[in-house]
Amino acid sequence: MLEDSNNNWVIETKNLSKMYGPHLALDGLNLQIPRGAVGVLGPNGAGKSTLFKCILGLIQITSGSGKVLGFDIQKEGEKIRSKIGYMPEYDALDPGLSAIDQVRYAGEILGMNTDVATQRAHEVLEYVGLKDQRYRKIDTFSTGMKQATKLACALIHDPEILICDEPTNGLDKRARKFMLDTLRRTAEEGERTVLLSSHVMDDVQEVCSSILMIYKGKVVLQKKIDELVNQVEKEIEITIWGGASIMETQLIDNGYKVRRLGRILRVTLMDDNTIIGILKIAAECKVQVRQLKEYQPDLEDIFLLIMDKLGEEIKGTSDLMTPKHIGGN
Amino acid sequence: MVTNLPDDIDIAGTKTRMEVAFGSGDGDEDMTAIVAKKESNLGAIFEQSYKPWDGELGPRWMRNYSIFRHHVYGLFTSKGHRHYHPFVRLTILVILLASLTPIPMLFLSSLLPGQDGDFLSKMWGINRFNLWGQILGYFPRNLCMWPLLTALVVGGMISDDRRNGTSAIYFSRPINRFDYTAMKFISVAVILGFVIIFSYFAYYTSAIVFRGEGWAFLIDTLPLFLGGMLSGIFLVLTYTSIGLALSSISQSRFFAAIGFLSIIYGTKIVALLIDMQFDTSILYILSPYDCLAHIGQFLLGIELNYEHPLAFSIISLIIMNIVSMSILVSRISSMEVTRE
Repeated sequence: MLEDSNNNWVIETKNLSKMYGPHLALDGLNLQIPRGAVGVLGPNGAGKSTLFKCILGLIQITSGSGKVLGFDIQKEGEKIRSKIGYMPEYDALDPGLSAIDQVRYAGEILGMNTDVATQRAHEVLEYVGLKDQRYRKIDTFSTGMKQATKLACALIHDPEILICDEPTNGLDKRARKFMLDTLRRTAEEGERTVLLSSHVMDDVQEVCSSILMIYKGKVVLQKKIDELVNQVEKEIEITIWGGASIMETQLIDNGYKVRRLGRILRVTLMDDNTIIGILKIAAECKVQVRQLKEYQPDLEDIFLLIMDKLGEEIKGTSDLMTPKHIGGN
Repeated sequence: MVTNLPDDIDIAGTKTRMEVAFGSGDGDEDMTAIVAKKESNLGAIFEQSYKPWDGELGPRWMRNYSIFRHHVYGLFTSKGHRHYHPFVRLTILVILLASLTPIPMLFLSSLLPGQDGDFLSKMWGINRFNLWGQILGYFPRNLCMWPLLTALVVGGMISDDRRNGTSAIYFSRPINRFDYTAMKFISVAVILGFVIIFSYFAYYTSAIVFRGEGWAFLIDTLPLFLGGMLSGIFLVLTYTSIGLALSSISQSRFFAAIGFLSIIYGTKIVALLIDMQFDTSILYILSPYDCLAHIGQFLLGIELNYEHPLAFSIISLIIMNIVSMSILVSRISSMEVTRE
């Protein structure tokens, strides 16, 4: 579990279960989510969307209990939803409206009066980088601009919790970076809680300090990313040119644990002398070492390791993605 | 069924994945140079800063009113509100103006002296038949105007939310499905009511004003007027519930519109053919228009021209509304927030 010095959880559930007919979507979920940015991970069908619906107080839970910002998810759904900004995965915008009108309307249906909603719409559209495009119709927008508009709709009332479902779907490199920077800024500068659901582990790692992993309706992991990285066996990664097979054999003969893929070799870091030993062997084998670095496991590694432990045959998170994630139709 | 999973999986001491980098060779090939290309830095064009907002959100009626306003104001100005195609707005304007055509004739009757004025007054003045016809006359109102008006208004009312995923905007906010349905219903009913009931009201009041009628006339005709107005309210409610039900089961504006017209015209034509062939009016209970017309004839005290009992039409109309509302409620309950 994650730690919070004041036990001031923004989301807390106890044995939360949800069944759809005979299908168990959430199985006794025990969560304690503190303020900050948290990545919600899990393969398709793990229960992420059901969890979001429960958090938003939209569905009746089968058993257990839960609180969001101190409000009961079974009885105080409307209060919860007025404190949460939700950015859906798919397009949720009226193509006939301009961005400013769409965002203003999103504020009005929260209960903001028109003047306040209009002023706030200008502010949030500037914040998400659409200041110059705010009067354009949404059907002329690129995918990135639509994503930014959805984020603006979610932020208009300055919510305590921002839930983002696949916010970088279909974005190019620059738009993706801007989106992630914006989410990180919202969490850090705005001191808001951001729940980020994504299959792109780099996105989660870039924004979030901790992750919550759900699998078959259960929480299998809830930890800070740094702590997880430290658990994985340390390796030295070397990129060599020429004689990779010879070098691999030599390293194994000298008692090193080696994994190789083409010209990349990863050698388990055993002690302080490992690097010197590797370099000596490289010199003996007369191979060029083009790069030598300590391999830093990323969230993708951790996700795949956990999926492997759970018996899921996922070779990469790209297996979990639909064409929409990569900008297709 | 879910297997037993550990609450916190231990990944200590495990190894990460390996992936190919810098090309797809096997590491034993001849060396070649790779030149890295650095991406140019375009710099930031604005200072991004998070602006908090500490205002208070308004109560439930403000949220609901904003939904109503969004849909109704869009008819007058699409800027900032729901977008109605200019052709739709123009057609609604034409229907409104067409429904007001008796008013100039009444005005003319007040100007013309003698028999000419009396003739025009008989043709377009206030009486049971004209009041019934203003709302429930088949041609042109229920053939060319009210069904078309309803089809144009309900077309995208809910189907657009399904198609664009905008239901998430509503349901991820403190708006419950009852409020959403109610406000959509009221929005459509008000638009239909504005054209149908307002034109009826304008017709009645202008007859009084132009002909200089007094209290006696008012007392004589007011019950008829109210009976006609009640028929109009029934018509608006029935057309709204059928239209919205069709809009809620589809992602297409066209489907809802054409479906509505098919129901109104289709049932009428089938019942008419059966009536002509077998000389029985019973199948008119399947036609929403004829049920309304039947009830309207009763409310205005006109001789009923349907053979089957009035109760059949009343029950049929109630069933039509219940079925339509059930479909509407069930389809709106199924609208998703996280995925549509």
